[in-house]
Amino acid sequence: MNEATVSIKDQNKAASSSRLKKNIRKFANNKLAVLGLVIVAVMTIACVVAFIAGVDYRTPDLTATRTAPDSSHLFGTDTIGRDLLARVLVGGCYSIFIGLFSAVVSNGLGAILGAVAGYFGGWVDSVLVRISEIFQAFPQLVLVMMLIAIFNTRGLGNLLFIFVITGWMTTFRMVRNEYMTLKNETYVKVCEAFGMKSSNIMFKQILPNVMTPIIVSVTTNVAYFILQEASLSFIGLGVADSTPTWGNILNAAKSLTVVQNQWWIWVFPGAAISLFVLAINFLGDGLRDVLDAKQQ
Amino acid sequence: MDNREIILDVKNLNTSFVSEKKKTRIVKNVSFQVKRGTTLAVVGESGCGKSVTMNSIMRFLGRNAIVEADSIQYNSLHDDQVKEYHLEKYEKPNCAEMRALRGPEMSMVFQDPMSSLNPVYKVGDQVAEGLLEHNKGMSKKEAREKVLEMFRKLGIPDPEERIDSYPHQFSGGMKQRVVIAIAMICNPELIICDEPTTALDVTIQAQIMELLKAMQVNEGKSIVLITHNMGLVAEMADEVCVMYMGRVVEFGSLEQIFDHTSHPYTQALLRSVPVLGLADGQKLETIPGSTPNPADLKGGCEFADRCPFCTDACREKDIPMFEITPGHRVRCLKFQDSPEVM
Amino acid sequence: MFKILASLPPLIFSYPKRSEKNMVKYIVKKLLMMIPMLLVISFIVYMGLRATGVDPINFLVSPEVLSANAENVEALRESLGLNDPLVVQYVRWLGDILHGDLGYSLDGTSISATIATRLPYTLELAGYSLLFSTIIGIGIGIISAIRQNGIVDYIGRVLAVIGQAVPQFLVGILLIEIFAIKLGWFPTANRVDPNATNAFVDAFRHLFLPVVTLTIGMVAVLMRYARNTMLDVLNSDYIKTARSKGIPEWKVYMKHGFRNAMKPVLVILLFRIPGLIGGSVVIETVFSYPGIGITMTNAITSGDYPVVLVTTLIIAATMLICSFLVDVFNALLDPRVRLGE
Repeated sequence: MNEATVSIKDQNKAASSSRLKKNIRKFANNKLAVLGLVIVAVMTIACVVAFIAGVDYRTPDLTATRTAPDSSHLFGTDTIGRDLLARVLVGGCYSIFIGLFSAVVSNGLGAILGAVAGYFGGWVDSVLVRISEIFQAFPQLVLVMMLIAIFNTRGLGNLLFIFVITGWMTTFRMVRNEYMTLKNETYVKVCEAFGMKSSNIMFKQILPNVMTPIIVSVTTNVAYFILQEASLSFIGLGVADSTPTWGNILNAAKSLTVVQNQWWIWVFPGAAISLFVLAINFLGDGLRDVLDAKQQ
Repeated sequence: MDNREIILDVKNLNTSFVSEKKKTRIVKNVSFQVKRGTTLAVVGESGCGKSVTMNSIMRFLGRNAIVEADSIQYNSLHDDQVKEYHLEKYEKPNCAEMRALRGPEMSMVFQDPMSSLNPVYKVGDQVAEGLLEHNKGMSKKEAREKVLEMFRKLGIPDPEERIDSYPHQFSGGMKQRVVIAIAMICNPELIICDEPTTALDVTIQAQIMELLKAMQVNEGKSIVLITHNMGLVAEMADEVCVMYMGRVVEFGSLEQIFDHTSHPYTQALLRSVPVLGLADGQKLETIPGSTPNPADLKGGCEFADRCPFCTDACREKDIPMFEITPGHRVRCLKFQDSPEVM
Repeated sequence: MFKILASLPPLIFSYPKRSEKNMVKYIVKKLLMMIPMLLVISFIVYMGLRATGVDPINFLVSPEVLSANAENVEALRESLGLNDPLVVQYVRWLGDILHGDLGYSLDGTSISATIATRLPYTLELAGYSLLFSTIIGIGIGIISAIRQNGIVDYIGRVLAVIGQAVPQFLVGILLIEIFAIKLGWFPTANRVDPNATNAFVDAFRHLFLPVVTLTIGMVAVLMRYARNTMLDVLNSDYIKTARSKGIPEWKVYMKHGFRNAMKPVLVILLFRIPGLIGGSVVIETVFSYPGIGITMTNAITSGDYPVVLVTTLIIAATMLICSFLVDVFNALLDPRVRLGE
């Protein structure tokens, strides 16, 4: 008896590890996804290394403002003579952090609320759904702008908080709908009959079934929040100017003289955002293909 | 037999699917005839290529399918005049010539009535669509009358009311009657029924089959019935075509197939049919092994691995057809003394 | 805007058939559901902005009146009811809005006047972008699905990937650099040129680049979605049934395919409208286009709360109306929704 259970456990382990191997192989076959992963990894590492190494992105060199790229400034300098390469690298660090943090936390919040609403139903569900509907009555960007107006300060912490509380609704709806179907499955009924705790059923039994779409959603949301931050910073409502982000650097391109005469000031950060978002999207598509149970 | 007697003559049909640059043969050297005014049953396990064969003839397959044949000849008979159509010569699957045949000459009843009807149009309009297409100048009112007549004939209750309903307001059996109405409305000579009752309740199955049988007997239609239900075959068919892994393995009249079963696969298939009054302790037989993947088939008889009579010769090369008695053809080396035919 | 809504029901009442009666019921129900949503939203926004502590007397009374009565502001405050509970004030403010009085911005201009000139500009911008992106996006999507792996499909896919990765304002900047600065075909900013002779040409010149920018972003998403939806539909059994009737291919695609693909595409269109409105807020800044978006952006930067309040509400109302319209189209296209089953 005991041996049998052990062997079943081992079998399960073997099965899951072989599935993992299969998934990795499947992912490796998707050339775009691998390319995306490589670009994301390389850019992230470069930005983090530059940040830790403490490259100088702050000191203006007033003798060399708006210089075109040359050997001392590979990406050129900005309107007040700061090195653009350093700014793009450090700005990338902030942008990627903002994207990653907001995506993970907002999806986590959405997943928890969705699990609660979907599993318990009733008034908890209707209240949460109403709240999400009110949030969704605004374009997210406008909601963010409104909250910025209410907070009346422009800081990194504020922005992260605002991104999180405006970004949870899509995941919430998806997880809620999944839970509404899954809670009627026999295995959940069995767990309930055994008197398992609700929290245990919700997060240990049901959640693993919903992890795939959540992971994919986190990936694509990283790109989304990076773009969102860039837009906000561009119109001057992002984090304070002292913190470099890709969007803040691009803010300089609001001036037509910069657009016309100093292409490097907006082309390099613009290319950095586009490349990173492109790579994340490839990665997300690849993950979806690999993890989508329907296709297996 | 001349063109007056044969309505559909298929010679050496091959269908392959291309996926990820690999070509997989699904239908291989299939030849058969359908006699006018009779029912031909095409039987075999799921995945044996019976549906693909019929869809190849109707040219309903997607872009990734390659259909080749020596001849797919359809003979229409109107006012004692026979007209031959050579379907294999039409290059584009949805060309005007092919479309002119679909509806007034040959039509198809599909497997799943739940998804065969367009959810956004009234059933009456869906039935009338083909009618209006092939009878230019017919008014909508005339078409509506024809549709009502067809609904009455097919036993749809309250036709005047139901004609303006949407598919989601119909039950499965009623939907299948609508699908049959779509197939019948232009009065075609040949109706291909692709497992028309598989998706329905058993009681509804009988009603639908009776309806089809009545059509065939009363109006002299020719029917090709694709099925894996041997009971239906016994009840409906005049001739039977047994397929396995994309090949016709046995072809003959109902009596020849049921009383002089010759191919080992057909024998196994018939033994595995549950019958009422199975004696105590008598077990229903199953066919050992499972159907091979069409992509990794080697040469020789496809059934060799599951066949109790298999010899080395079976695996050497493709097996030809042997005609053991007039009209009864078997693709098996057990009968290699008989004359070889297509 | 409310006038447009009010004119909707009679349009539909003119078809009093049995199934259409259900349709009217459905539309009225959806209309009524918008009212509590708007109330809740306006309440939250009002309370949120009041919590920032700006003295509302500045946006209730025109600055001339205020400076004329400088000595008895407290009396004015009492008479205006600013010492009443916030909820009472909210109700009064709502009443003013419903009467068309939107109050005053902190720099003293009447908000109603600002909105009256700027809202049409934004509606123009967003409306044309929605129109063109819908036509182009769905068109390319459908062609890509019908000619799968063809040249249109391939180009479409590449464009979709790029369009989703490049920030929209960057696209705008690129277009300005190329078409406005280098080639000089279009102006770089504004909506109206005071020296223009032909109003239509003027509108075209000023709208072209911002509309193209917004359209590119929308098309990228729409065409990908329209393609996949159409592919799903074309693989369904009823398409085979349609072919079995011998009808021409264009009828199979348009009558049976397109009509069924429309519904999910409309839903995604609804989901993209916030993005479009949010996008137009940013794009107005790029092109210095004097619409609601730039008004709101500037109001937030300068802390002009009355304007933030009104612009936010207008955007929320626009959103609700869009989602209502999609519901109506949805019902028109799908008998299952229309008949309430």
